Amino acid sequence: MSHGSGSPRTIGVEGLSRVEGGGSLRVAVHDGTVTDVALEIFEPPRFFEALLVGRHFTEAPDITARICGICPVAYQMSACAAMEDACGVTVDDRVASLRRLLYCGEWIESHALHIYLLHAPDFLGCADAVELAEQDRGAVERGLGLKRTGNRVMETVGGRAVHPVNVRVGGFYRAPDPDAVAALADPLRRARDAALDTVEWVSRFEIPDLPGDYRFVALRDPGHYPVERGRPCSSDGLDASPAEFEELVVEEHVARSTALHARLAGRDPYLTGPLARYALNSDMLPPLAADAAAAAGLGPVCFNPFQSIVVRSVELVFACDEALALVEAYAPPDPPAVDFPPRRGVGIGVTEAPRGLLLQRYEIDEEGTIIRARIVPPTSQNQLTIEADLRRVVQDGLDLGDDELQWRCEQSVRNHDPCISCAAHFLDISVVSA
Amino acid sequence: MTGRSARVVVAGLGSDYRRDDGAGPLIAARAVAEAGNGRNIGPVSDPLDLLGAWDGADLAIVVDAVRSGVAPGTLRVLELTAGGSGEPVERSGATSTHGIGLAGVLRLARAVGQAPARVVVVGVEGEDFGRGLGLSPAVNATVPAAVHRVVELISEVRPCA
Repeated sequence: MSHGSGSPRTIGVEGLSRVEGGGSLRVAVHDGTVTDVALEIFEPPRFFEALLVGRHFTEAPDITARICGICPVAYQMSACAAMEDACGVTVDDRVASLRRLLYCGEWIESHALHIYLLHAPDFLGCADAVELAEQDRGAVERGLGLKRTGNRVMETVGGRAVHPVNVRVGGFYRAPDPDAVAALADPLRRARDAALDTVEWVSRFEIPDLPGDYRFVALRDPGHYPVERGRPCSSDGLDASPAEFEELVVEEHVARSTALHARLAGRDPYLTGPLARYALNSDMLPPLAADAAAAAGLGPVCFNPFQSIVVRSVELVFACDEALALVEAYAPPDPPAVDFPPRRGVGIGVTEAPRGLLLQRYEIDEEGTIIRARIVPPTSQNQLTIEADLRRVVQDGLDLGDDELQWRCEQSVRNHDPCISCAAHFLDISVVSA
Repeated sequence: MTGRSARVVVAGLGSDYRRDDGAGPLIAARAVAEAGNGRNIGPVSDPLDLLGAWDGADLAIVVDAVRSGVAPGTLRVLELTAGGSGEPVERSGATSTHGIGLAGVLRLARAVGQAPARVVVVGVEGEDFGRGLGLSPAVNATVPAAVHRVVELISEVRPCA
């Protein structure tokens, strides 16, 4: 019954409803100024870090995939990269391309879900996607079609759409049949058209203008828009190896939240995700996606978090276009994976989950047993920035009524597509005035 | 539809890393194997993943661990549609950052004409949803009966004449 977090729901005589797992937002206002914003987020990876200790290094992709039903590939890819790093192994180009194709499937599925079913209703005055479907059935059908195409890519390459079973350390258990991969081309062409329509659609939304002063962090992968590999870079000059970056990421426990808050050592909070990827890599977008971004009015960097839905849509175009190119160039890796013995060591894997940078670090012994695990998900890295956004949104909206302010706050949180355990109304806002 | 095989999909919702929450996927997998019919589309950790996977099914059976205050291990079967055309029994207020509940997903599927003809939830009252592996004794004891009930539901659906 879980949704990512495993939070339970209740069945009463009237049926099913979510009753637990919500976040809460507490805002303190003093003399008309927001003095404190506290957003509570439940975060599951901590449990998984403990669970991974004592398991074999080859089990990490399958175990970590279960952290999230939306982005299991991200967890699998970072786990594989970390274990291969620990053992000094590099996979061949065909395996790397197949991983990128699988990851594109997840981007398509995840971005379509977020844009159409979760975020667009905020901009269109709809309570939810069902209301949006009643208002604009064609749009929701387009979104669901995109999601289906993403799922199909994941099924073909990963064995199934949710928690793929074909991924292993070193590559894949089985190389997908070339005919099955080729059959993805037509759906991807249609999806690419639908993604272009998506950019055009969201660019017409009435978008609040509340830019933030962000420190962006994303991978850079020379010659490519970053997905499954790259070096962590920042908008203020950081250019680090994954291992150097991992040492810089400091996470703090905060009493009010079960989530850790990440900072780069000695510096301000930072933001990962579509806005950051775009800011650091817009010059790497292929022409189709770059033209769509320009037509939507985006410059090379976007500081307005409410425009993240536009940037996410541009990335949707990219993911469809990239997946199609990979499908057309597909050559089955043979063998589908490289086998290698474990060795004592430390490995870091950093990849770009749809909602931001996902880091995993493992220490394994000579038998391949995991001694220590660290998982830093995007939401933990973004949480302080999300709070800063909320502070700005609340300060700007103190004149709004409670319902309208809550609406704007939820919209603001959704700008960054965080993994939050969900409740029917996830934010309980209490404004404490002094 | 002459001669068309009825399409039955079974989805176990939940995570086996959350003790009794793993009952759904376990029961769904066993029932499909035993029935020799139907397609297991789980494990499903987010009801939204049902979209696409259950489209056009004649019957979708969703197996889920639930908590309603009755004795752990209690088996409940809930029809989520009224006579195949009614509204879902619950309108979930679906503003959340990251998902929509089962009833909301069904409403959405129906709004775009992709819902299964019939959706049945087989719920097993859970006791322990904490982090860890393995079902609680009461839930574990109910698994055979739940599997049997799902197999019965699958068997009730015959190929269209």
